[in-house]
Amino acid sequence: MMLKALSADLLKIRGKGIWFLVALGPVGVIAMQALNYGLRYDYLTKQYAGRLWETLLDNILMFVPIALYLGVTLVSSLLANVEHGTNAWKQLLALPISRNAVFGAKFALSVLLLAVSCCLLAVGTIALGLLLKFGTDIPYLAILRLSFLPFLASFPALALMLWLCMTMKNQALPVTLGVMAGVVSVFSPNLSEWFPLNWPIFGYEGPRQELFAGAGLLCGALILLVGAIHFNKKDVD
Amino acid sequence: MSEWVIETKGLSKRYRGRYAVSNLNLKIAKGDIYGFLGPNGAGKTTTIRMLLGLIKPTNGSVHVFGRPLHKERLKVLRKVGSLVEYPSYYGHLSAIDNLEAIRRILDAPAARIGEVLDIVGLAKEARRPVKGYSLGMKQRLGIASALLGNPELLVLDEPTNGLDPSGIQEIRELIKQMPKQHGITVLISSHLLNEVELTAGTVGIIRHGELVFQDTIERLQRQAKSQISLVVSEPEQAAAMMREQGLNVRLSEPGILLEDASDPAIAGVVKRLVERSHGVYRVEEKRKSLEQLYLQIVGEGGRP
Repeated sequence: MMLKALSADLLKIRGKGIWFLVALGPVGVIAMQALNYGLRYDYLTKQYAGRLWETLLDNILMFVPIALYLGVTLVSSLLANVEHGTNAWKQLLALPISRNAVFGAKFALSVLLLAVSCCLLAVGTIALGLLLKFGTDIPYLAILRLSFLPFLASFPALALMLWLCMTMKNQALPVTLGVMAGVVSVFSPNLSEWFPLNWPIFGYEGPRQELFAGAGLLCGALILLVGAIHFNKKDVD
Repeated sequence: MSEWVIETKGLSKRYRGRYAVSNLNLKIAKGDIYGFLGPNGAGKTTTIRMLLGLIKPTNGSVHVFGRPLHKERLKVLRKVGSLVEYPSYYGHLSAIDNLEAIRRILDAPAARIGEVLDIVGLAKEARRPVKGYSLGMKQRLGIASALLGNPELLVLDEPTNGLDPSGIQEIRELIKQMPKQHGITVLISSHLLNEVELTAGTVGIIRHGELVFQDTIERLQRQAKSQISLVVSEPEQAAAMMREQGLNVRLSEPGILLEDASDPAIAGVVKRLVERSHGVYRVEEKRKSLEQLYLQIVGEGGRP
């Protein structure tokens, strides 16, 4: 049943600019590093000679959390707004489909969209590295980890955002919250690594990457469950 | 029991201590067009949302097709098409894509989209984005969406809101056909009496969340009793004379109003007036319109 809702949702986001946004995130992050390396190519390659790929990944990582939080926020809000716009909730939820399926489909779609972003980030990283002539000894595993582990670690944020965006008609609060999370995440890595906004960055950095991704998945599932229960009981006006 | 397509028992919804709908016992028969009437804010939409499982009743139960709605919501909704309040649509999509988004969830055959567009007369405009539609066209798209799943019950909340007279006429004809051609039971809500009078077989009138009338439209019409108005040269003396005869008389400009008078009684009155040299200018029947009756029911809440 969730697949039916998902296929309907895929149709509904057509022409909404969501796919553009999904591409814009990773392209932006890569473009920033292209600029960084373009401006001081000689200095950087001399300074970090021998670990060019590693340095590139570290540089990209700095912007991954903020891009993730902004992406999570915008995707959630846009997906929810497709229904909020003309209050299509009342039409959708009067159809023979369970609310869990509706909620689950929205979550699945946002995961799908953001996963596409992550893939683009991986491809873009490789392309940039090759373009900068860092050699063909490409650290594929590290690139995959950089692209996907922070994403898994940001699942709690995604579940929370989606829940808030879907249940509140006024998107000002969830969007503000999401943007704030993005901004704070730039400055918070000095705090404890278990500070939730830090999970994405420590999902790549440090010795316990998988732990943070796992914690993200678990915590995300928990928030998703609570959100789904609330969505199920909610009166639709 | 299952002879009722919709049956509610003691249905109530409370918002912050105030009952929006209280103790509603609706009974809607199969193949009927049920007009659900009431002024704005009387609880019509709240009731309809409860019938569709969009909001949960505070008390009471809803049975649709004889099944308890809270337990078998999905099974019930499979056979229900609905349009709640103003139409919902995805403005950036064409009518076809809007219907397709719903069709994917209903699992209806793809050909059904063309059929419902034909039924509501939108086939020509179906490829334009819906945000450029007039309100009437959006309303018709809403009805097309409701028909998409071949429902046995159609729930339409104020379907003619915002339509122009010809649009209202069109929708009315469309709704009238439903039971005849497709065997569909229709629940249609409105705050306009003549709307319901022209389509419905049964009427339920709701006021401050309570059902104050539920019967056939003929019964309602019969209650709109007639009065006889007499315009005479000396109304006060004439009225006094009629009261002596034991008639129910009321002076009102420009004449006298006689209620519940039989034909012989009126003939007697006229004869006596002529005998006593009153000038009888006019004797006419005045029907209390259904509109007045409705306003009376809605205004006082009492059964007329």
